[in-house]
Amino acid sequence: MGRLNHAASRVHTQATQILNNTRHTYPPPWLATIQTTPPSSKLTRPVLKRAQKPGKRSSRIFTPVNLTYQEDKLRWEYFNDHPWELARPRVVLENDGRDRERWDWGIELDVSLNRPRRKTRDKRGRTEDDWEIIMDTQAARPLNGEAVIQRQQWLLTHTPLSSAAAYDQARKELYRVRHFQETEQRVAREEAQSVGAFFGLGPLEIGMQLEDKAYEDWKEWAIRETAALKQIQGSAYTGVGTEEAEDEMTPELGEGSAEELEVVKESIPSTQRGQRARGDAAIHP
Amino acid sequence: MIIRSLHLRHGRLALPKSSTPSGTLRRRAFTTTPLLRQQQQQSNVHSHAKTLPSEIRDYNDPVAQDFAFFHHQKAHTQHVGSSLAPHYRSHELVADPPRPQDITLQLLMASQSHIGHATSLWHPANAKYIFGVRGEHDPIHIISPDITAAYLRRACKIIRGVTSRGGLVLFVGTREGQARAVVRAAELSKGCHLFTKWIAGSITNGQQILGACAKKVVDENDKPIPGFGDQLPQTAALKPDLVVCLNPLENYILLHECGLHNIPTIGIVDTDVNPTWLTYPIPANDDSQRCVQVICGALGRAGEEGQKMRLGRARQGVVVSMPSHGLNPPTEGQAERDLELEERARLAEAAIQEELMIESEAAAAEHARQRRSLPNPEAQDADFAELAALEDGVSVDTSMLDRSLKRDQSDDEYDLEEDIVQSYQHDQALSREELAEVPLTADTTGSGEASSESMDEASRRDERG
Repeated sequence: MGRLNHAASRVHTQATQILNNTRHTYPPPWLATIQTTPPSSKLTRPVLKRAQKPGKRSSRIFTPVNLTYQEDKLRWEYFNDHPWELARPRVVLENDGRDRERWDWGIELDVSLNRPRRKTRDKRGRTEDDWEIIMDTQAARPLNGEAVIQRQQWLLTHTPLSSAAAYDQARKELYRVRHFQETEQRVAREEAQSVGAFFGLGPLEIGMQLEDKAYEDWKEWAIRETAALKQIQGSAYTGVGTEEAEDEMTPELGEGSAEELEVVKESIPSTQRGQRARGDAAIHP
Repeated sequence: MIIRSLHLRHGRLALPKSSTPSGTLRRRAFTTTPLLRQQQQQSNVHSHAKTLPSEIRDYNDPVAQDFAFFHHQKAHTQHVGSSLAPHYRSHELVADPPRPQDITLQLLMASQSHIGHATSLWHPANAKYIFGVRGEHDPIHIISPDITAAYLRRACKIIRGVTSRGGLVLFVGTREGQARAVVRAAELSKGCHLFTKWIAGSITNGQQILGACAKKVVDENDKPIPGFGDQLPQTAALKPDLVVCLNPLENYILLHECGLHNIPTIGIVDTDVNPTWLTYPIPANDDSQRCVQVICGALGRAGEEGQKMRLGRARQGVVVSMPSHGLNPPTEGQAERDLELEERARLAEAAIQEELMIESEAAAAEHARQRRSLPNPEAQDADFAELAALEDGVSVDTSMLDRSLKRDQSDDEYDLEEDIVQSYQHDQALSREELAEVPLTADTTGSGEASSESMDEASRRDERG
């Protein structure tokens, strides 16, 4: 489809021509509408980038720009340090697209863990009423790696903290939240088990079972392979065998030959060492 | 003690129930959520007693007392509990689509309309709709939401203008999940819809493919006019005056046919679509069902507005368009004939419906009777006797039937051994002549000795002849 078909854009001109050149035709219902609101121009290319070197003409001035933000660098650092945060599922569904107007990243991430005691003010000067008011709006904030980045960005913008200090503060807030969540899960599991619940195997247990099975399978394979190897080696060696072959080649004897066997056990003709000479000539002439 | 905070899924907040029902997410000005404490202070629950009319004001009447109690309880408990804060409900996009005025950049972004395809798959012709590139390893194009909004509003203007002049709009969406949106938009704009494959040639070869389509002639107030029954079968199906295509990549043939017949087209253009195929492209994400429903919904609402304008003008006797339909004025008496045919068709339809209803009722009654399993001995005997009479001279003894019925009625007296003995004797009692007369087919199974002789006879017969 190399050729371009501009029929769609020329709809109005075409209809007007037909109208003018044919008798007894009425204009279609869309003619007046399209006349007042004509279609946009197509195949026009605006300049999106400027040439990097002043004198030179770049061929890439019409391609779209790469979008970068400050948070990208923070994300790179954070998710390189915490790769398993990427494994946590994240809900990207939005309600009306105005969530960012509601989340206040000036409020610390672990605010839900630090409810002030009754009739007292905490370190930040909040009473429990203030805490309730904050939780009304900020309780539904997503608490994940992205929250750390947003918190870090807020701290860098609104506080005199250095980038390292802001990173430390933001990530430690999330650590507290994760610690609390893990404890909560563990306690909930114990509470459930104390009233009779039972759970299936966790992912670690299943992983270990699979590893065990793989090991057993390997062991059987290894035994088979070793036996096959021995057989090949044994068949290649005619007469002179290894020390292991000694045991295999011991002939089965009847009863009463145990003593005699003991005497000659160590000297067997077919082995490498061969038969030990007993009663040899002392000196060769 | 562990205090568990109630975080609902997807970041939803549980709010105290308000006295007024909450509107949809779109209509509410979602600036600040109401605060728990303030609401509790403000909403004082007053139980306002419902007053009875003076004629029947008897408070000792039990009905009046129940009524009063009900309202008292309702007033005290209706604010108990919580309701969810306004949130996205996917069915609302089809049930109550957004109007062109409700389209905001935030709504388009929430509907993922800005997400384009991978940069390697783009069509360079729509470079001017693209905001930028996002991503390091698998970069994608981002479509500008403000450009989407602008082009969508322009397309809405076109649809409104076309429908207000009596034009026919065809909504086409052949991908999975687009059917409901397309049907709803066509319903609102009083147009046509298509959600299955477009048959190539439906416009260029319409006489052949759509020749059997039902047509009707309506006046400016959309009331059908009789009198064209002889001309309509000969006319071709109407061609749409505007086509809205939600997935142009799969419907290239449709758009080509529209170009051949000079029909303007509107469509959703993703970063990999050729924008020259459409008269009015709307740069947006065609892979997101939510985005497609938002755009289709807005277009449907625009069509609805146009239809409202047209019908309003028509009621005042103002008609703007003069469509070229190619019909001649109705001949003498054709109108009466058309009405008569219509009446006959309607009566025939009603008769068929009635028959179906009777059949279904009878079937339901039969089914109910079987489920209850009430034995109806008289009916059974009568049926059986009839069947017996129909068969070839084989008279069946109904004593077995009587015995089984007695068994059903008095289970305590049932003796299995006696039953077996009796049934054996009964089989023995069947005369051999009778059995010999019964034609030997694969289905006949005689019991033991009685039939074996007849089978031997038959085999001897076969051997002989």
